[in-house]
Amino acid sequence: MRPARLAAAAAVLALALAGAARAQNPAAQVTHGITAYQNLDYDSAAVLLRAALAVPGPTALTDSDRVRALVYLGATELYRDRRDTAAALFGRLLRIDPRYHIDQLVFPPEVSGLFQQVRLITRAVAVVVPADTEIGGGRDVLSIRMYAATFHPIDVAVLRPGGARVRSVYEGNVGDSLQVTWDGRATDGSPVDSGRYLLQADSRGADGHVVRSVAIPLTISRVKRDTLPLPAPPAASLFKPEHRPGGNGVRGAVAGAAGVIAVLALPSLVAGGFHPSTDRLLVAAGFGVAGVLGFHAQRGPQPIFENIAANRTLRLTWQHQVDSVHAQNVARRSEVRLKVHAGPLQILGTP
Amino acid sequence: MSRRALGLLLAALLRAGPAAAQLPQFLGSVDLGIARQHFQSAYPGGAESLAGALMYGQVGISVNPVAVDVSYAQGRLASSTASAAARSVVEASVMVSGRVTPWLLLKAGPHLRAYSAPGSTERWAMWELHAHADEPVITGVLAAYLEGWVAFTSSANVDPGASGARGGEAGVTMRIPGSLFWARLGYAVDRSSLKGGARTEALQSVLVSIGLGGR
Repeated sequence: MRPARLAAAAAVLALALAGAARAQNPAAQVTHGITAYQNLDYDSAAVLLRAALAVPGPTALTDSDRVRALVYLGATELYRDRRDTAAALFGRLLRIDPRYHIDQLVFPPEVSGLFQQVRLITRAVAVVVPADTEIGGGRDVLSIRMYAATFHPIDVAVLRPGGARVRSVYEGNVGDSLQVTWDGRATDGSPVDSGRYLLQADSRGADGHVVRSVAIPLTISRVKRDTLPLPAPPAASLFKPEHRPGGNGVRGAVAGAAGVIAVLALPSLVAGGFHPSTDRLLVAAGFGVAGVLGFHAQRGPQPIFENIAANRTLRLTWQHQVDSVHAQNVARRSEVRLKVHAGPLQILGTP
Repeated sequence: MSRRALGLLLAALLRAGPAAAQLPQFLGSVDLGIARQHFQSAYPGGAESLAGALMYGQVGISVNPVAVDVSYAQGRLASSTASAAARSVVEASVMVSGRVTPWLLLKAGPHLRAYSAPGSTERWAMWELHAHADEPVITGVLAAYLEGWVAFTSSANVDPGASGARGGEAGVTMRIPGSLFWARLGYAVDRSSLKGGARTEALQSVLVSIGLGGR
């Protein structure tokens, strides 16, 4: 009779605890469950932690609280002599967070030992990508970092939501962690179209079958780069006058005539008494031609060659800048850039 | 006396520089040409005349406001009169110049000249001061120049020694607009005398040259 009474009392207590637990906030239940665990009240801890983990919907535990609940529940079940249940709970934890390491200052060696055993056989990866990435110009890539619970083969690919493979990113083994990149291109080398995609990582078991898959939704949009504005032409004030007003031509004619006279008179002025060279008449003729040319040339506007050259340099410099900007804009127009927005990691199937 | 005069001249040239009101600017030039030369000499009781051609070269470096020109010419004069012996002629000069006004350039420096005939060589050394004026005939294309010079000291290895020298030159330069090339056609004449009227020489040259560079 007495055992029957005790069993009935325990059942009533459990039902009462379960009822109370259901009435609480799941996060608070986790806290109370951990307190019960620390007070060595494993039965209460198990009830509270299970109740917290069972809450579905919007009030469900966050991943970090879920992980916390699972590690304490696993330890609790180990102390309740339910080793297989504890191992299953640790496996479930690692599939949610393959990077999780148990705190050996908090949990005794038998708990951390079992956790490590489970880690060695749990094939799961966590995938981390930046929330927003811009890919384009052959320079940038989407950086994908993976953290594994244990060494195992994985396949990483970008898929259409329907499952069609767009590009295989990685096929091979992963140890502790691995970084791979995706250049935003499909298998044929062309940039992918705007749309929704999945970055999926499949963990394979020893038999080659997929044992766990995680996916990150990617929202990709093609963007065009802004073209650069053309440089403004040089201001008119920067140009120097290229001509000066012409004269009446007398100055040129006088210079030529003076030269003729000088050539004819120099022998007498410098070396009077000697026979003047007739060769000098060639130079005198040169002066005469120069004078005639100067007379005509000086009657019109006179070019200022230094200013013409300076203005040409100014125009050429501006034209080079325009050509450079044109070339950059052509490249920018032909360049496809992708904006990649990554959503939260999803574990496909039941963790 | 002559060194003092040269020092004063160089000081004047250096002072003249800022008149150009330009920032220091390095420019170089090369001038190569050929000269047709006519040499005449008169002495008591006689005269001689020779003519020939010289190759001429000049290298200039300009660092505003001062420029330095080094020139060298060499050729051979053939006798035009029965009494004259053919001879080689070599000339070299180094001129330091500065622009005093936009149209006037002053130059000064040593000028060496040697006539080499079989058995004798006549050498002249002169320190000269040149005044060079130029005027554009067609702006940037054609310019006329006139130059006069005097030797403020001169020496010769011929007795009774040099008494002085002077000269002048006139010519036109033509530059292709926007190009570094230019051409020159000039006529130069100079006269040098020995003391006591022992001998007087006149040298006339018609020079055609092609130049490269900016000045």
